[in-house]
Amino acid sequence: MKIQCQEDKLTVSEVVTLGAANSTTFQEKVRAAMPASLNAVEIDLSQTNMVDSCGLGALLALYKAARVHNSKVTFRLLNPNPLVRQLFELTQMYRFFEIVKH
Amino acid sequence: MKALLICPAERPDVRALAEFVPLANLPLLGKSLIEYWLEDLVVRRVKHVFVLVADRFDEVRALVGDGTRWGLRAEVLLESSELSPDEFRVKYRASDEPDWLPSPDDIVVMDHLPGLPQQPLFASYAAWFAALLERMSRASTPDRIGLREIRPGVWMGLHARVSPGAELRAPCWLGENAYVGPDAVIGPRTILEDRVFVEGGAEIADSIVGPETFVGALTRIKDSLAWGNRLVNWRTNSCMEVPDRFLLGALNKPHYSPELLGRLSRLASFLASAVKRSTGPVKIHNLNHGLSPLLRPREELYSRAIQVTLSERTGTAPSNEQI
Repeated sequence: MKIQCQEDKLTVSEVVTLGAANSTTFQEKVRAAMPASLNAVEIDLSQTNMVDSCGLGALLALYKAARVHNSKVTFRLLNPNPLVRQLFELTQMYRFFEIVKH
Repeated sequence: MKALLICPAERPDVRALAEFVPLANLPLLGKSLIEYWLEDLVVRRVKHVFVLVADRFDEVRALVGDGTRWGLRAEVLLESSELSPDEFRVKYRASDEPDWLPSPDDIVVMDHLPGLPQQPLFASYAAWFAALLERMSRASTPDRIGLREIRPGVWMGLHARVSPGAELRAPCWLGENAYVGPDAVIGPRTILEDRVFVEGGAEIADSIVGPETFVGALTRIKDSLAWGNRLVNWRTNSCMEVPDRFLLGALNKPHYSPELLGRLSRLASFLASAVKRSTGPVKIHNLNHGLSPLLRPREELYSRAIQVTLSERTGTAPSNEQI
């Protein structure tokens, strides 16, 4: 997993799986990297081949944490593959996240 | 009169449909494909039918038996592979016997419903969905005990139950013993096969849910074929296994274990952090009873159920305080 922080934007990439085994670690690392002046969070899911409810919970927790920094923060999930996108549609995650496909 | 039915073996374009049962046994509005065909043959006065099976012979034979259920004699025969009707005609109807249905009705590949050869079932997932949708209005026949059209375009099977507050949008079909929880929205263009359990708050539209499938609360199934934990988007052909059974899962598998109870507690934390869809607080209750009478036989596998109660949905983004 790669975390990059550029001023007010946090970018997470190279996330291969987001499940029960690593969701807590993922959440802790990303949360620790959030700058005080956070404006945007982008999580690149192009390499993510598995997400389960624990992973979704971690994403929601990060969304909540980001809004503590800035209630107007944009939180985007980039390029989920079709299977992950299906899970997002099943669990209505599009209500909370901006899901972007390039 | 005699006839021969060829059970479809492999259909790569709809591979996921064959995961649970052989294609001949696939349920279409509460009745399997082969049952539709056997009934059609009875109407045509066929007394002796050969059923050729190249996939899961035992399952097809278990369903068909010896044919006495339909008043005919059925011979279920194992074939190593699915041949063409002409090839089977040479093999099984070598001489010009007069007591067969006239060609081409004498030997039929069951890849469509009787009388609808122009509507192939297995050309794609979208074709399967369209065929069932089209059939819905004509599936209510006198032999369907308990099936009734409760209002135009909404059919409910025997012992199907709909909770108060649930919404049924026509056209939709609820199979036998199907359960729809409170505030769930079913339809339009939705089929719930027999013994489907839909938890409260779920939304299902333009979709088919296979028999004995659990659909969890907070889920939204759209443009999909859902069976067990398998979810296929019939528009995009994307096919996935849903990893969490509280979202989508099979009811006929004994899979509730300490591992699942651990996941249920993770579900509680997941749901508690989820943005609620109402102005009221998210309440988490611990209950000491099983999910429903439908699942009662499996209650012994549960020690408790966790239920999240949501108040009305607003559909608006929550404030920071509400999260």
